Amino acid sequence: MINLAQKDISHTLGKFIVTAMGVGMLLGIVLIMIGVYRGMMVDAEKLLKDMNVAIWVVQEDTLGPFAESSRIHEDFKDTLKVIEGIDKSQAFTFQNLQLYGLQKPVRVTAVGFNPFESINPINPTNLIKGRMLQKSHYEVVVSTETGFKLHDKIKIARNYFTVVGLTKETVSSSGEPLIYLSLKDAQELQFSSSNASIKNDRERGMSVSGDGHTVNTIAATLKAGYDAKSIAKKIATWKHLSVYTNEEQTTILTKNLVERSAKQIGLFTAILVVVSTIIIGLIIYTMTLEKMKEISIMKLIGIPDSIILKMIVQETLILGFFAFIFGNIFSHLIYDKFPKRVVLEAPDALGLFVVIILASILASFVGVGKVIHADPTVAIGG
Amino acid sequence: MKKEQSIRIENLTKSFGSGDSFVSVIDGASFTINKGELVALVAPSGAGKTTLLMMIGCVVDPTSGQFWLGEEKVYNNRWLTNNSRQIRREKIGFIFQAHYLIPFLNVLENVTLVPQTNKIPTKEANAHAMELLKYFDIAEKAYNKPSQLSGGQNQRVAIARALANNPQIILADEPTAALDTERSISVVKMLKKIAAEQNVAIIMVTHDERMLKYCDRVMKIEAKKIVFE
Repeated sequence: MINLAQKDISHTLGKFIVTAMGVGMLLGIVLIMIGVYRGMMVDAEKLLKDMNVAIWVVQEDTLGPFAESSRIHEDFKDTLKVIEGIDKSQAFTFQNLQLYGLQKPVRVTAVGFNPFESINPINPTNLIKGRMLQKSHYEVVVSTETGFKLHDKIKIARNYFTVVGLTKETVSSSGEPLIYLSLKDAQELQFSSSNASIKNDRERGMSVSGDGHTVNTIAATLKAGYDAKSIAKKIATWKHLSVYTNEEQTTILTKNLVERSAKQIGLFTAILVVVSTIIIGLIIYTMTLEKMKEISIMKLIGIPDSIILKMIVQETLILGFFAFIFGNIFSHLIYDKFPKRVVLEAPDALGLFVVIILASILASFVGVGKVIHADPTVAIGG
Repeated sequence: MKKEQSIRIENLTKSFGSGDSFVSVIDGASFTINKGELVALVAPSGAGKTTLLMMIGCVVDPTSGQFWLGEEKVYNNRWLTNNSRQIRREKIGFIFQAHYLIPFLNVLENVTLVPQTNKIPTKEANAHAMELLKYFDIAEKAYNKPSQLSGGQNQRVAIARALANNPQIILADEPTAALDTERSISVVKMLKKIAAEQNVAIIMVTHDERMLKYCDRVMKIEAKKIVFE
């Protein structure tokens, strides 16, 4: 039996391909939107995974250090070390900075840590050039996404820092590229006042602030066999601090911080899918309208509705399928051009494929309705 | 030798509406057309030729009467089958004013579409279609699209399509309306030849009285009745 859909498509192949590409671009955007969401989730967990600690200790009644501002004293890391079950503990700072020196200012998140202690937030697998921090001052390891190169000098506040290492795909939970510097430098940046500011404060009769031993969080690892939750509870009870397990910190980042954005993206994606369905429906409706004379003739010469409907449904499915293929190609061509991480995953594409096939079937009903109501008598009587 | 009947109609009527809006279009039409006959159907506009043609073509339901295609009774105050489209596909061929070929199918596919729908194996349907295309001297265009053929060639393909299902009857709706006299005569002569050689009845609606002399009989609709000249 002649496949009418295949014949009709090959008759207007150019038009069909352009149409499929148009719908495909729309589906590509849907895939990118899903990819942006996946990227947000990956970014949210990236730093936590790289640091691989069990417990986060922050200022009492805060969700810090990523979700809320937190300040605690650095020496609490030593207090933690004596608590049963704690293996290593280390102080960290996190702050947003704007770096200059390239064509455009770069927004980054700076991680301050003691390079001579054992918890290293730089995952060695992410270090693609250069080395780790080896000095207490004026060295910095930066993400390649900042645009800086090895041995570049970056002016941060009053000092120049040398780029000694480059990492790849290291971003903060909000997707900003990370830079790593020594804890001492980071503390000076975040908590110390400038000379002019100190002088000004003195002249106003205010006490000179600038505690150089404040940090944002203390992170700790546990000895084997100890439960993070019970140790966190113990620390929180006795030390007037908020303590989160790594799991809870992940939840704070992925649920509390990203959830609203995720909902927004999800809604936008759903709207795009509905728009795609409507567009496919309109295309099929137009394609069917263009063939109404032929459909009426086919009905008149005795071709059953089932064969004509098969043509319409097959054309819709083929359009949906090729649009999906083009959408995938399109999304893979452009995803790395986005400033933040876009993660394209096969299960998402597969899910969209199922949705588009269902949407195509739904859209084909528009054409089916026209076929059923096509009048076979139009060809008779001039 | 007794001629085989192609179509027989007894007391066929068609009316629309009821009460004050009642309109009778065909009233008690009775006639038989045998295989091999070319019959012209002539009537003024609005007299009911299209309605009659659509009833014979199983497109419009008659109001009452009886109706045979070949020896098979297909209508007895109601259709005797649930699928009038199947009757059209298996027993009737259509020729229109324009060729109305399917533009996205090539010539061979246009001719074999109905036979293949009738579950005739592709090979057999193609062979029969090629015979018809050779008969109409357009076999070399079998794989061309209608847009690549002239108007006359397309008309011949349309006639080949009408014959492809070995119909009991061909209904030709003003096939010469858009043609000049010379080409009209040529088409009517061809239909006459087809009727005789393919042993099929053809009812041809025409307004052109010059074509009547080439037909075996002339059927007219006068005051809702069928009369033969």
